[in-house]
Amino acid sequence: MSSSKQKSGQFVVPGDRLGVIEEFVPGPGTYEENGTIYSFATGRALVDMLSKQVSVFPKTRFLPVPKVGSIVTGQVREVQSKTANLRIFQVDKHPISGSFTGVLHVSDVSFHYVEIMHDACKPGDIVRAKVVSDKNRTFHLSIKEPDLGALHAFCSRCGNVLTSRGAQMRCLKCGKIERRKVAQDYGKGGIV
Amino acid sequence: MSKKKVKKLINGKGIRYDGRKLNELRPIKLEVGVLDNADGSAYIEQGKNKILAAVYGPKEVHPKHLAMPDRSLLRCRYHMAPFSVEERKSPAPSRREKELSKVIREAFEPSVFTEYYPRTSIDIVIEVLQADGGTRCAGITAASLALADAGIPMRDLVSACAAGKVEGHLVLDVADLEDKQGEADVPVAYMPNLNAITLLQMDGMLTSEEFEQAINLAVEGCKQIYQLQKEALKAKYVEVKEAKKEDAEQ
Repeated sequence: MSSSKQKSGQFVVPGDRLGVIEEFVPGPGTYEENGTIYSFATGRALVDMLSKQVSVFPKTRFLPVPKVGSIVTGQVREVQSKTANLRIFQVDKHPISGSFTGVLHVSDVSFHYVEIMHDACKPGDIVRAKVVSDKNRTFHLSIKEPDLGALHAFCSRCGNVLTSRGAQMRCLKCGKIERRKVAQDYGKGGIV
Repeated sequence: MSKKKVKKLINGKGIRYDGRKLNELRPIKLEVGVLDNADGSAYIEQGKNKILAAVYGPKEVHPKHLAMPDRSLLRCRYHMAPFSVEERKSPAPSRREKELSKVIREAFEPSVFTEYYPRTSIDIVIEVLQADGGTRCAGITAASLALADAGIPMRDLVSACAAGKVEGHLVLDVADLEDKQGEADVPVAYMPNLNAITLLQMDGMLTSEEFEQAINLAVEGCKQIYQLQKEALKAKYVEVKEAKKEDAEQ
């Protein structure tokens, strides 16, 4: 098969030949084996004649998998004094099928000293976090930065959504005052 | 599955009992993206075979100790529905199904880029709704499309087809009756662009020359099936875009 037959915009499936490394640089959606460039995705081939790069723009769904540096959203499952477990259901604004588990340690909660995890989050909270490490078969999360932290928090006594007042969180229903590490945009709109 | 006793499977003119030529496939219908709840899915009808394939993942591995730090765990479950055969089959996975699950998984391992998604699992589920011989091959063909539909990076699509020997003739795409009364069955899974065989089995007796001919025959069948697979993917992903374009114009 001649490589020049592959035009930009052509529909390709995994395994389709896109060219050889003498004429193109393999870009995203492609792989190279024995000097030939193949597609690994289902989508449209893009041939950039200026940068001599051939890539495939996938038409299939995006595969959301947490990686170091990605921003994830999850629900707090279990809180111990030093750690909390998160059930991650969204990676970089993409909902995922099933869920991943992440671990948040007190040392990754705030730039300030936090004595105990219960001062930062409680079970049921919806939290935005950043993946800082994937060592030891676990996703280690951080909510240190201002835009990270609780997006929705619930009163531990009555279950009502808490209202943020600076560092304090107040339940408008029963008046309970709690502590959380909240994101800058706490309570503003959706879970995203 | 006719209960009539067929005396001869191949007549003097080289026509098989179902009207096919010796090197002819059964009619194949392929459809991609038939299930909403799976990440990727496909359906195949090959002759009287009716098979659904679904793919989940990449997702978190359970049980966790199976997770691998450098690559994704590929798992496969081949299962026949109780109503897929003439006499009700127990729904519990039989020894045969467990073995087929293993060989089908191994047929996909050279194709899937598992190293792109460490610590995750990619699960393939193949459910045979109606069986008429060659279900492992049809299952692989459908599962390959389901993997592509799920957006899993693959080196190549995997196409599968069987060849066999019936009444002294080498035939392509062995049906159930031919498999039971014939002399041999050679299922082959094949990656057409990389020219690599990922599954090769044999049941029965063949001479080494016949075996080589049977492989070549099966590979030719795989190449035909590959074209149908490509068309099935195109039918899903190209027409969706065209339909959207038409909607925008209206």
